[in-house]
Amino acid sequence: MNTQEYILSGIVESYVLGLASDEERREFEQMCQQYPEVLAARTSFELALEKQAMEHAVHPAPNIKDKIFKQISIGPSAKVISMDTMPVKQSNWLKYAAAACFILLAGSLYYNVSLYTKNKGLKNDYNNTVAKLNGVEKDIQTITGNSNIKMASMKGQEASPASYATVYWDTTSQDVYLMINNMPKPASDKQYQLWAFLDGKPIDMGLIEITEKPLQLYRLKKAQAAQAFAITLEKKGRPDISKPEGTLYVMGKL
Amino acid sequence: MNSQNTYTEQELVALLQQRNEKAFGYLYDNYSGALYGIVNSIVTDKEIANDVLQNVFINIWRKIESYDAMKGRLFTWMLNIARNASIDEIRSKGFRDSQKNQSLTENVDIPGAVTGPAIDDVGLKKVLTKLKGELRVLVDMSYFQGFTHEEISRALNIPLGTVKTRIRSALIQLRTMI
Repeated sequence: MNTQEYILSGIVESYVLGLASDEERREFEQMCQQYPEVLAARTSFELALEKQAMEHAVHPAPNIKDKIFKQISIGPSAKVISMDTMPVKQSNWLKYAAAACFILLAGSLYYNVSLYTKNKGLKNDYNNTVAKLNGVEKDIQTITGNSNIKMASMKGQEASPASYATVYWDTTSQDVYLMINNMPKPASDKQYQLWAFLDGKPIDMGLIEITEKPLQLYRLKKAQAAQAFAITLEKKGRPDISKPEGTLYVMGKL
Repeated sequence: MNSQNTYTEQELVALLQQRNEKAFGYLYDNYSGALYGIVNSIVTDKEIANDVLQNVFINIWRKIESYDAMKGRLFTWMLNIARNASIDEIRSKGFRDSQKNQSLTENVDIPGAVTGPAIDDVGLKKVLTKLKGELRVLVDMSYFQGFTHEEISRALNIPLGTVKTRIRSALIQLRTMI
């Protein structure tokens, strides 16, 4: 293998930043042991990253150190936080879907063995469920694949500083997709509404039917032109929804 | 800052593995700022970021045995703990309650109104803003929002192989900017 090409393939950065797959990780670790130049490239990027992070350090409030020391002094056996929550990299719904599939499959196998006369019926049930799961997946598959997608990160405003949502706008097809990264659940008589801004004027982009599913991608009205996007919390059933009346939650420009 | 002592990385790791609190204090004094920076670039809420930082250091303390110097530097290991804990937080939080009212007037001065918090413009996130269009979206989704390549491929309807190649090329570009 040409190690120089390997080094320049982006694998070094991928590995160090924690974005490599398990397989890529294993391969890279082996390459590091075998080829000193690969190891050197890794160390050099690690040092650059460390230097960059040190230069942009944000110093936390002094009381945090005390809090941490209080917790570790209790002793290593104390269970302050749960370890198994740490390396979560996949969204929960995928896990639930995977778990659901597994349970269905296990159930299906059991019945196949013990009650094989019912085999066919169960198979249908299983297929229906899989079809439903596929439908759920389709919800997030609908963005067009061209490279003209613009993104607006909408940050929480005064009413809700922790809120965060992202708009992905396909400038070719004009499709607008919204991801609610973190927003409070609206009261039952209220709902969120997305706005596009053009020359300071808000344009209605549609009401958002919030579902409980995390990281749901919502498809909204098309946008021909926009400089920024925002979400407000509005009363349900307003006669005229073309103008915002409620509270500004998040906002961000393209 | 701890002034009387400096350690090599090996010494520091060895002491931490012996549960030496002084070494842990040194670690905190030297690295909390850098790790807090990365936490802040993912978790926008200050109080939640503080909680995450605490968890990060408690995890470092508890998991130091599993640190393997063959696989990378101590800082890289800590940085990944910080990133994972932050992503875990923004993903588990779901909907949060938060009130107070502010009305949106019809005419909003866009340039003023949308100036995000300064936190947006520090560290890796600042470097990210230099990337062009789609590459920026891909790095944002994968590094700062923690989506897997498979999830990005589905969400943006780009083939998995293409997602991988584009993220790789974005990372190569990032490399030259750091």
